[in-house]
Amino acid sequence: MWWYLLKRLGLSVIIVLMAIAVLFVMLHSIPGDPVSIALGPRATPEIQAAYAEKMHLDKPLPYQFLIFVSSVLQGDLGTDVFSNRSVGLTLAEQLPYTITLAVAALGWAIILGIPLGCLSAIWPNSWIDRVTGILSVGTIAVPSFLVSIWAILVFAIMLHWLPVIGAGDEGDIVDQLRHLILPAFAVGLGWVGYLARMVRASMLEVMGENYIRSARAFGLPARVVVFRYALPVAILPTITLIGVGFGGLLSGTVFAEIIFSRPGVGRIIYDMVQARNFPVVQGAVLVTIALYVIVTLISDLLVSWLDPRVRDSL
Amino acid sequence: MSKLTQSRRSFLQTAAFAGAAGLTGSFPGISWSAEGDTLTVRFDREMESLDPGYYVGGHPANDVNWCLMPALIYFGDSDSGWVPSPYVESIVVTDSTHIDFTLKKGFMWSGDNGELTAEDVAYSFERMKDSEWKGDYVAFDRVEVKDSHSGTIVLNQPFAPFVSLTLASGTGIINSKKALEAVGGKYTTEPPATCGPYVMEHKQAQWVKMRPNPNWTGPKPAFANIDCIFVTDSESGALAFEAGELDCAKITSSAYARYQKELPDNAALTVAGALQYMWMGINTENPKLADPNIRRAIQMAVDVDSIVAGAYSGTAEKSSGIICPGLVGHRSAPGYPYDPVAAKALIDEAGASGLKLTLRTLNAQERVLAAQIIQANLAVIGITVEIIPLDSGPFWEMGQESKGDTWKDMELHIMRFGAGPDPYEATQWFVRDQVGIWNWERWSSDEFEELYAKGIAETDSAEREKIYVRMQEIMEETGGYVWLTHEPEVFLHRADLDAHFAPTGEMQLASFAPK
Repeated sequence: MWWYLLKRLGLSVIIVLMAIAVLFVMLHSIPGDPVSIALGPRATPEIQAAYAEKMHLDKPLPYQFLIFVSSVLQGDLGTDVFSNRSVGLTLAEQLPYTITLAVAALGWAIILGIPLGCLSAIWPNSWIDRVTGILSVGTIAVPSFLVSIWAILVFAIMLHWLPVIGAGDEGDIVDQLRHLILPAFAVGLGWVGYLARMVRASMLEVMGENYIRSARAFGLPARVVVFRYALPVAILPTITLIGVGFGGLLSGTVFAEIIFSRPGVGRIIYDMVQARNFPVVQGAVLVTIALYVIVTLISDLLVSWLDPRVRDSL
Repeated sequence: MSKLTQSRRSFLQTAAFAGAAGLTGSFPGISWSAEGDTLTVRFDREMESLDPGYYVGGHPANDVNWCLMPALIYFGDSDSGWVPSPYVESIVVTDSTHIDFTLKKGFMWSGDNGELTAEDVAYSFERMKDSEWKGDYVAFDRVEVKDSHSGTIVLNQPFAPFVSLTLASGTGIINSKKALEAVGGKYTTEPPATCGPYVMEHKQAQWVKMRPNPNWTGPKPAFANIDCIFVTDSESGALAFEAGELDCAKITSSAYARYQKELPDNAALTVAGALQYMWMGINTENPKLADPNIRRAIQMAVDVDSIVAGAYSGTAEKSSGIICPGLVGHRSAPGYPYDPVAAKALIDEAGASGLKLTLRTLNAQERVLAAQIIQANLAVIGITVEIIPLDSGPFWEMGQESKGDTWKDMELHIMRFGAGPDPYEATQWFVRDQVGIWNWERWSSDEFEELYAKGIAETDSAEREKIYVRMQEIMEETGGYVWLTHEPEVFLHRADLDAHFAPTGEMQLASFAPK
C-alpha cells in the first residue's frame, strides 16, 4: 500500500507540474502585449514599465517560468491586476463556496442515486427499475443551467420559498443553507441519474458473480448479500466516478454560480476572463487543477484500500 | 408581482412542502428587498477601479463614487442639466473660462484626513491632467484657491463641456489630498478616504454594501443602507427582481421588449437615456475595401429598420451618427438611403460581386443578431459575410495596434460606444491620434481635426450644432460607417421606488427614495 501511495503521489506531483507548464505556455501564447492587456490602452509608458518590472515581464521567458514555479511552490499565486489584492486571498475567499456547493450537490445525488441504483439492480425490470431508468436518462439529459432557471421560476418567483442570488449572510447558517438549496439541486440533479445508472450496472454485474450465488445458497439474508457482499464491490467504479465528478465540479459549478450569482471559483474564472485579469485566472485554474488532482488521488487511494488488486495496476 | 405575507396558512403550506421534500431547514418569508431601510440593486460587473483618473467605464465606479466621494455638481434630472451637489454653498460660471465655487463647511474625510477643502479640489483636478481621463481635462488650467473653502476653476480656453461633462461625470470626483498622497497618488477599489453619506464594505465578486457614514452632515439619504449585488448575468438579474430580491436591475433590450408587453406587479421601467451609439465600422485601409464605391454600397445595403426590429425588438432608436438624440449636433437622418438596388449597381460597377468579407462582433445576443441581419443584407448585393463573434477581451483589443496584429486583418466590425451628455466626448475617439487606438475605421481628415478643435472652444449652441453635424457628415463621407442604433440603458425597478439615473446610465443611488 505504501509503495502504491508513493507512486500515486509522485504521479500527482508530475501532473501538477505539467499543468503549471502548460498554463504558463498558454498564457504567454495569447496574442498582444501582456502589459497593455493587463493595464488597458490608456496606461502611460511609465506605468507600463513599472508593471512589467513588478511582474517580471521584462525578463526572458525561461526566467519568468522559473519565477512562476518558484512563486507557486511558495504559495504565492500573484496579485490581482485591478485590486492589488493577493490572488491567494481572493481564491481562499471563493473556494469554500465552491467546495460547499460541490459537496452539497454530490451529497444529495449520492444519497438518492446510490439507493435508487441498488433498488433497480435488486429488482430489475420492476416498476422501480423502469421509473429509475426514465428519471436517470431525463436528469442526465437536462443541462444544469436549464434546471437552474426552472428551479428559480418555480421555487423563487412562483412560490417565493427560496432565494435566488448570493450565498446568504455571513454567520447566518440557516440563510446560507437556504441559498444553497436551489444551486445544489440544479447541479446535483444530473448526478442522481449518473450514479443510479452506474450503481445499477455494477450491481447487476456483481449480483451475477459466483460468490454472490454461493452466499445466497448458504441462505444468507438478501440484505446481507446485497449490502455486505455485493455493494462493496459494485461501488468501486462509482467511487472513482464520484472522485472525478467532484474534481470536475470544482470548476464545473460555473453555470450555477453565474445564474445564482453565487461566489465561487468557477464564477471568478468567468468574470476574470471577461476582465482579462490573468493573474487571477492563472491562480484559480492552478488551484482547481491541484484540487482535482488531490480529489482523484483520494478516490484512487480509497479504491485501492477497498480492492487491493488495484495497487498493482499503476 | 405581489408582496408575500407570511400568513399562518402560507406558513403551513411552506412547512408541508419542506416535510414532503424531506428538508428540515426553515424557510423564512421572502420580503421585498427595499422594505425597511435597505435598497438592493444589481451591479452587472465587479469594480475594477474607483479612482476617477483610472476607472474603466462609468458603471459601477460612478454609482459607488457618488455615494462615497464629494463632487461639485451632479447630473440633474434632465439629460443635459446639472445641479450643485450637497457639498457646495455655491457654484457660479462667471465667464467662459472661470468657475467660482464655495464649499460648505463641516464635511469631514474618514480617518485623520480632516475637512473637505478647496485644496482637495485643486489637487484632485490637477492630477487628472496626467491621468487616463485627461481628455476630459483638456481645457483645465488650474484651480486658484481663495481660502480654505472657496476657489476658482480656471480653463485655458473656453470649453463648453467642462461643466456638463467633466464636473458632473465620474471624472469630477474629489479626493482627499492628504489621504491620496499618503497612498502614492493612486488607488483601485479602496478609496484612501471617503466623505459621502455612506461608507463602503466590499466583498470581491459578491457585493458592495453602503452603510451610513456617522460623520455625514449633509442631507440624509432616504435609504440608510444600499446593497449592491454583483449579478453578472442579465437574465438572472431580471429573475432576481421578479423574485423580490432586487429593487432595481439593469436589463437587456430583449428583456425590455418582454417587460414592455407585460410587467410584473409593482414594477416599472425607466429608460435612463440612449447615450450609446452603435455602428458597423468599415476598415478604410483594408485593400478589399479600398474602393469608396464598395464602402458606399455597403452603407446603402444595410436595412437598419430590420436590425431595430429583429435584434432589438423595436426598443432601440435608429441611429444617424455618433451624436445621440437630445444632444447638440444630433442628426435626424443619415446622409445615405437604404437602397439595395443602387448598392448592387455600385458593387457591379466596382467589379466586386462575390466579395468575401469578415464581420467581427462582440458575442452578445443583440449584436450577433444584428450581424446576421447585415450578413443577409450584404448577400443580396453579392457580398458574402463571415461573422466572427468574439469575447470581450479579444474584441476590445482587435483594432488596437498595441495589442497585436488583428487590426491589419479587420474588414467589418460592429462597435458600440457610450457617450457623455456633450457631443465633444463622442467625437474625441475619431481624431487622427486615435487611428489604431479607437479609430478602427482608420481614416483621418484635416477638416475634422479643425472642427474638433473649434468645437471644444465654441460655446454658442447654434455654432456647435453646425460643427458636430458637419463632423458626422465627414465621418459618413469616408464610407467607414453604417449607423445602426442608439441602444437605451433600461432599468427594471419597483414602481414605488423613485429611482434616479445619470444620463450616462449610472444609478444615482443616494437619491433613490420610496415614493
